[in-house]
Amino acid sequence: MKWNSIRTKVLVTLLGCLVVGVAGIVGLMRYSFERNSQALAAESVTGAQKLFTILEAREISKMTAVSEMLATNPQVRDAFAARDRERLLELTAPLYPELKREGITNWMFHTPEPNMVVFLRLHNPSKFGDALNRYIDKQVVSTHALVSGNELAKAGFAVRILRPFPDSTGGVAGYLELGEELGQFIHTMKEQTGSDYGLLLNKNYMDRQFWADSSKVWKRRDDWDDNPNFVIADKTTADNSIFRFQGDLANVPEHGEVLGRFQDGNSVFVRGIFPVRDAAGNTVGAMFVVRDISGFYVVMKHTQTVLVALTIAALALVTVLVLTLLSRLVFRRLDHIVMVATRVVGGDYKTAIHVSSDDEVGQFEQLFEQFRQVFVDVLAHVPELQEQQPSAGAQAREARAGTP
Amino acid sequence: MSQIYEIKLRIEEKIKKDKLDENEVKGKIGLKAGKLLAFITAGTPDDPAAVAKLKAAAKEVLNLSL
Repeated sequence: MKWNSIRTKVLVTLLGCLVVGVAGIVGLMRYSFERNSQALAAESVTGAQKLFTILEAREISKMTAVSEMLATNPQVRDAFAARDRERLLELTAPLYPELKREGITNWMFHTPEPNMVVFLRLHNPSKFGDALNRYIDKQVVSTHALVSGNELAKAGFAVRILRPFPDSTGGVAGYLELGEELGQFIHTMKEQTGSDYGLLLNKNYMDRQFWADSSKVWKRRDDWDDNPNFVIADKTTADNSIFRFQGDLANVPEHGEVLGRFQDGNSVFVRGIFPVRDAAGNTVGAMFVVRDISGFYVVMKHTQTVLVALTIAALALVTVLVLTLLSRLVFRRLDHIVMVATRVVGGDYKTAIHVSSDDEVGQFEQLFEQFRQVFVDVLAHVPELQEQQPSAGAQAREARAGTP
Repeated sequence: MSQIYEIKLRIEEKIKKDKLDENEVKGKIGLKAGKLLAFITAGTPDDPAAVAKLKAAAKEVLNLSL
């Protein structure tokens, strides 16, 4: 192969186009995948946050309805007003398993202010008399109206409602509290979206010893030291590694944050996080969202492969067509001119150049044929050739005579 | 007889011996040497530069060492 030939130059140019084309496609596909995965992650975070808010509102609504039902039950109302713990337990205990099945795991009656201590815990009846002094306790005392919100307590991070509980005269006999573990939400969310979730709790609001004790009770590994700033309260997957987060939960933006993409074997995930606030507005936790986009990645890879293959095939076809066209229109005709010119120099004065077309090369053929005729004519008149090479001179004269 | 004419005869001899296309081979050699072989006769004076060019052309086209 001659490196300075037009064929080589055209071939190299087309190969360059192929490389640029393939690189462009791969780059474009990667860019598109980056953008789409970012969009999917953002959508996952936004969707999860909305779903979480909806679930939260739904459960608050449910607990509110239950509390209304209890508040209108004269037997329960009278037993609480009479501070008859045994009677109250007797009346409410049969209902607790039913509510627990529906997710309401926390149920408490509180005495009124100023002491406001726990009068009865349906989820732990033997424990009572302690004051909780939480934000929502102060809020309900100051408003004497139903308050709701997330509250991180020793029993866990739960969405709670706390409302005044009336006596028979319409006065405040105390307060009723119902609560649902937020950790339960993530399983519902996984069922609805297919993504994995993890509820992270900020260590700043946690008690180290309580976490160790509760880990023993729940028979879970004490993962306090796994992450510097948070613990994983609940998750929908056994794999802790997908909940990698180095930042501070308190700094997670209000509308969440996309944390990017990562690959684990053949699976590709996008991740995001949004804050979970307590009733006082503190970012006590965050919801971690992990969406498997392997299917999307596989489709993107397949599309990329198809596009690259099509580009290669198309450019290979173009290469063959261009080289064939160049060969027919230029190279073959130039070779013929070279051959005729060579033969003329070698003494063949009869072979003429056939002008095959009036294109650019055809014009050159015509010019060269005219030149050849002039050359032959000159040779016919060279005395040296006539005298010393009579056969050559005769040939030239013959060729000249035969020239149209 | 000049040296350049002798070379021409050797070239013609080789062409005949190998049954080559005379016009094509002479044309190639002529183009490379910058000389029409038809013009080389027994009386053509030896020009060292022309002789050297013709030898080199014959070597390149016919692999003929002269």
